[in-house]
Amino acid sequence: MDLLLDILTTAAILYIVSAGLLLIFGVMKIINFAHGAFLTVGAYASLVAARIGLSPLLGLAFALLVGALIGMLIERVVVRPLYARPLDAILATWGLAIVIGQVITLVFGREVQMLPSPVNGTFAWPGGEYSAYRLLLVGAAALLGTALALLLTRTRIGLVTRAVIMNEQLARGLGIHAGMVRFCTFAAGAGIGSLAGALITPLSSIDPNMGVPWLVNAFMLVMVSGVSMVSLLVATLVFGAAQVLLSTYVSPVLGGLAIAVLAAVTLRIRPKGFSRD
Amino acid sequence: MFKPQIRILTAALALAALPLMAAAQSAAPIRIGVPVGLSGANSVVAPSVVQSAELAIEEINAAGGVLGRKLVLEVADDASGAVGAQKAFDSLVFQKKVDVLISMETSAARNAGLPIVARGKVPYIYTSFYEGRSCSPWMYVNAWVPEQQVPPVVDYFMKTKNAKTIFLVGSDYSFGRGMLEFTKKYAEGKGAKIVGEEYLPMDGSDWTAVISKIRAAKPDALVTSTAGGAPNVTLTKQLRAAGINIPYGNLAVDEGTAKGMGADAQGIYISASYVTGIDSPANKKFLAALTKKFGADLKTPNDLSVPEYEAVYAYKAAVEKAKSTDSDKVLKALGEVSVDGPRGRISMNQQHHAPLTMYLAQVQADGGVKVIDSFKDVAVGAQCPNLK
Repeated sequence: MDLLLDILTTAAILYIVSAGLLLIFGVMKIINFAHGAFLTVGAYASLVAARIGLSPLLGLAFALLVGALIGMLIERVVVRPLYARPLDAILATWGLAIVIGQVITLVFGREVQMLPSPVNGTFAWPGGEYSAYRLLLVGAAALLGTALALLLTRTRIGLVTRAVIMNEQLARGLGIHAGMVRFCTFAAGAGIGSLAGALITPLSSIDPNMGVPWLVNAFMLVMVSGVSMVSLLVATLVFGAAQVLLSTYVSPVLGGLAIAVLAAVTLRIRPKGFSRD
Repeated sequence: MFKPQIRILTAALALAALPLMAAAQSAAPIRIGVPVGLSGANSVVAPSVVQSAELAIEEINAAGGVLGRKLVLEVADDASGAVGAQKAFDSLVFQKKVDVLISMETSAARNAGLPIVARGKVPYIYTSFYEGRSCSPWMYVNAWVPEQQVPPVVDYFMKTKNAKTIFLVGSDYSFGRGMLEFTKKYAEGKGAKIVGEEYLPMDGSDWTAVISKIRAAKPDALVTSTAGGAPNVTLTKQLRAAGINIPYGNLAVDEGTAKGMGADAQGIYISASYVTGIDSPANKKFLAALTKKFGADLKTPNDLSVPEYEAVYAYKAAVEKAKSTDSDKVLKALGEVSVDGPRGRISMNQQHHAPLTMYLAQVQADGGVKVIDSFKDVAVGAQCPNLK
């Protein structure tokens, strides 16, 4: 039972952390290497929110907002001129991650920051108990996934976004403002990244480099998922399971490598990864 | 293809911290080299170490220096690792021509620096607790080794908490593995059963599987030895989130970090040769002098910075006993002199290591640290049998 919950909660955390990156990759076809920095921004945003006395829920909203605002600024200044040069965009966002990390270091210092967890202890039921916050994260992941799915499939914004994903030139020909779609997507992706950072802080340390290890896994998951939120869900479940099983039955050191190695193998065998088309 | 880029990214972040250089000029002063991790993993604690050295040198100079010569501080950033340490030691020994090296460093940095120390024939006082058994005729150590730190925790768990089974968790590097290897041997020798031993890479932050194993093994007590900073925090947070409330001894947390961790750290047992609460005139005088010199910029003194302060005084005593800064004479004298400092009377007279009074303490709800027991002059065990 614990093992199943370990897998489920690990997958949930991976999904939360990767969703923002996938959104940006899906629409814009660029890999946002600043995603790890957005996670860090979100964690520090929730720290600031707690210091000025906001409740944890408002702290999450604050993190989303801060991330989205920074995302808008970055899209306008750094990313927009580089749409035609995806490789340069990788370099630019990577550099951006360094800048954001250093700014955070300058403002908050290099040391680990502490934030009390909003939910403590375990959730118990007859015959067992499990970390309450991790269970809560499963709910958060489900909520995030549903919201994104509804947004993309049931709204006009989603329709327009999907049109740009499928064929940008055709979409433009139909009068869709592709630049606007990109702008909103980047802001949303950054906001979700920042929200993810705030969500994982009760399980993670808050320091200027905290996003880096998450970025690697998120990147690998997005590579095998292509552009689909559904295949991301499948990928997080499969790879999360592999990570937990390897960690439990072989060694946690190997478990830490599981996602990176499996992603490479998957792409070697099936270049499309988990995506259907 | 992208992994190396991420390494470069972290390296670039680490390198961006600017090394501090102390200005130095005086008539034939004695140069004290301090290679220390101003950037990288040790960057959290390094400023307090430099402050300790600055205070000791200022006090000694104000009292007339050593053999009528002033002391001068030379700080170099070793970036907390082997490559940085080679550069830092090299520049201090061969360019700055320091008379002695006194510093706390990571084990990797120390091991990289030792050959350079031997080549330059410079005495080296190592002031960081470590996993033990690093031996060089050029090096003295005035901080604890596992033989001194682990027994208070394990004995307390077994006698007072009646623990029969212990689970060990660490970061996968020489300090983490060295500490737990000793803990295992010691606890098993005392009749306890080690029901699990798990490691995560140094940058690992997901303890899910390890925690499930702890829950499955149902140990009576837990002893951890992770890398300082982030791994320590993530492990403690995730343990608390998983509702694990057995006696928890943390071999790698210092008083300052424990304070910062707040409610999550409550109840953790620590074992150290220095806690700020030591009730002695020497410690009170030391704390007052630090507060006066640094005011608001003061970094809380700790088990890594206080030995630095005492080691500068040990070097002063050794030079005065040898009546010279000649390396051979000073090295001989270092093993013979005693220094009265915040931690009490320290002599590095056991195989180049020092017997120390150890304190077992528990983190309180308000983040303070309460001393539960103290153990006077704990011996170092067999560290370097080939050194006197």
